Amino acid sequence: MIQNGINTLADSYITHPVAQPEDKMQFSEEAVAELEEIISHYPERKAACLPALWIAQREYGGHLTPAAIREVATRLGTSQTEVEGVATFYTMYNLRPRGRHHLEVCTCLTCAVMGAYDVVHALEHALDISIGETTADGEFTLSEAECLNYCGNATVVQVGDHYFPDISPSNCLNLVEELRKSEKYTPALLADSLVKIQTPGASLKGGGSFKAEEI
Amino acid sequence: MAILNLLFEHRDVEGIGNIDVWEANGGYEGVRKAAALEPQVIVDEIKTSGLRGRGGAGFPTWIKWNGLPKNYDAPHYVLCNADEGEPGTFKDRELILKIPHLLIEGMILAGFATYSKVGYVYIRGEYVEPAWQLRKAIDQAYAKGYLGKNILGTGRDFDIYIHMGAGSYECGEESALMSSLMGERGNPRLKFPHAPLPTVAGVWQAPTLINNVETYCAAAWIIKHSGEEYAKYGTEKSKGTKIMSVSGHVARTGNYEIEMGTPLMELLNMAGGVKDGVLKAVIPGGSSVQIMRPEQCEKINLDYESCGANGTLLGSGGFMVFNDKTDIVQLMRRTSQFYMHESCGKCTPCREGTRWLFKILDRIASGNGQKGDVELLLDVCSQIDGRSYCGLGDAAAWPIVGAIKAFRSEFDYWIEHKRSPIGNTFVPPVVEAVNPVLALTSV
Repeated sequence: MIQNGINTLADSYITHPVAQPEDKMQFSEEAVAELEEIISHYPERKAACLPALWIAQREYGGHLTPAAIREVATRLGTSQTEVEGVATFYTMYNLRPRGRHHLEVCTCLTCAVMGAYDVVHALEHALDISIGETTADGEFTLSEAECLNYCGNATVVQVGDHYFPDISPSNCLNLVEELRKSEKYTPALLADSLVKIQTPGASLKGGGSFKAEEI
Repeated sequence: MAILNLLFEHRDVEGIGNIDVWEANGGYEGVRKAAALEPQVIVDEIKTSGLRGRGGAGFPTWIKWNGLPKNYDAPHYVLCNADEGEPGTFKDRELILKIPHLLIEGMILAGFATYSKVGYVYIRGEYVEPAWQLRKAIDQAYAKGYLGKNILGTGRDFDIYIHMGAGSYECGEESALMSSLMGERGNPRLKFPHAPLPTVAGVWQAPTLINNVETYCAAAWIIKHSGEEYAKYGTEKSKGTKIMSVSGHVARTGNYEIEMGTPLMELLNMAGGVKDGVLKAVIPGGSSVQIMRPEQCEKINLDYESCGANGTLLGSGGFMVFNDKTDIVQLMRRTSQFYMHESCGKCTPCREGTRWLFKILDRIASGNGQKGDVELLLDVCSQIDGRSYCGLGDAAAWPIVGAIKAFRSEFDYWIEHKRSPIGNTFVPPVVEAVNPVLALTSV
């Protein structure tokens, strides 16, 4: 159907970048400033989609809700579908809530050969969950990761913004106990580190959650 | 031919990630030198060196550098591919983590040579620690005037921004990386000759230079020393050094910078030999390349030509060693699972084919294999190879074809006896290293 030269039928399939009435924009003032700084690195606003989703993941407490995706679309002036397409493509964006610590065990070639599946089974047993599940207390989510590219120190487990190398069935239980006590390595802190890394001058300001001395 | 630390020369110096220590060790000399040079001189120096792309394909670097329009009329971009995802490879991680300033130098030089004012480093989202080191290094370089406006009084500008990925192997492919940088899904695009080269119309349709981390680092070394100096090392067609990431059943895993043309067995010896058993197979260049039997390994030198002549590839340098307790069918099942997971879904042969490869291999490796499954695998592989937009489809097919060629009997054993010829496990007990050459004689 064509009215006034506009194909209204085709337009009806486009999700406009307009927030739903019940949405409340949740980005803090600081987050908006960070987003605008990152947008200025690119020739167009839309290009900041990945960093914007990282900011959203942090601001919305570790995972992306539909409202978070709509907020990113509104702030970038693009459509909700487009942002949703990006958010669903990349594995590090959490579309569901994760535990306070997300254990990602690398089980790709070298790690698999060096015993990653034994680590997975030991963790499954210790946490009483299977791969992809979250413990009842919301403390841990366990998943299998594709190559984390630290093959020299197989098996590697990524938790938040940190790689734990040389994990074996015997020392993985210590890791779990350590993490239980730790305030660090949460999904929101991972997102925070990734945003800070993309902000020029962040290292001079002390750098948020991530301290370079820890490397 | 042996270990030759050109890029890794200062790797183990205390605090080398700090710009003051880096400058005290001759850092940024190349940039100072290049500031006085015409852009074309830099490109010619790279040409003299014979440097080839270290991301996997081995394309001559100078052709890319020479391909961008030689003026500042429209924006050009310099991209660094630090989306290291090839299973078995971890060289870029160490380069960025330990000596981030070398990468920055390489990108500044590329900016000078290609009349670009902006550079982006695309780092995979998992690499938080290396990326944080790079953030620190870039901030320091800005403070010292090596980045920003009017670098060292030359009137040239160059900015480097970091762009973090979010978990996708596919984004290591150059056209997918550009899509991802533009804030889209990481889908690849049509390639030359069906579409213009990135140097003509790349990211945001602007001329774009895209290279691997190791390539930029090597370029920085070349400009600091000289192209002739670099060309002294290596073989006739593969110049210089290559960083090999050694992992798997070896005594000393890690990154080894070797001269191009070093025999494969020599690298294995340097890494302390095979751990717990005798050598069964080596994957010399990351999971996408063909697996080699021990007798083939003895013939291979680690350079582009020798690897190619022996039916494998040097690839990105992910050197994986497997001992005789490794089940090749299970290994291939895991490999195909990786490609199934990472296929972006854009083209049908890859999206569907990688799933079928996994299903068939899973069937074989769980004791439900049927007669004719091996032929079926080869048929599916032939339907994927060369029929997808990017190399992921080829990379999914090659290792399986290679494994069937080299270890056909193991596939047949699984199908006939419904169990592993090795013992159904991925977990061999650990004992001391043995000399691989001695170990070979007992095969």
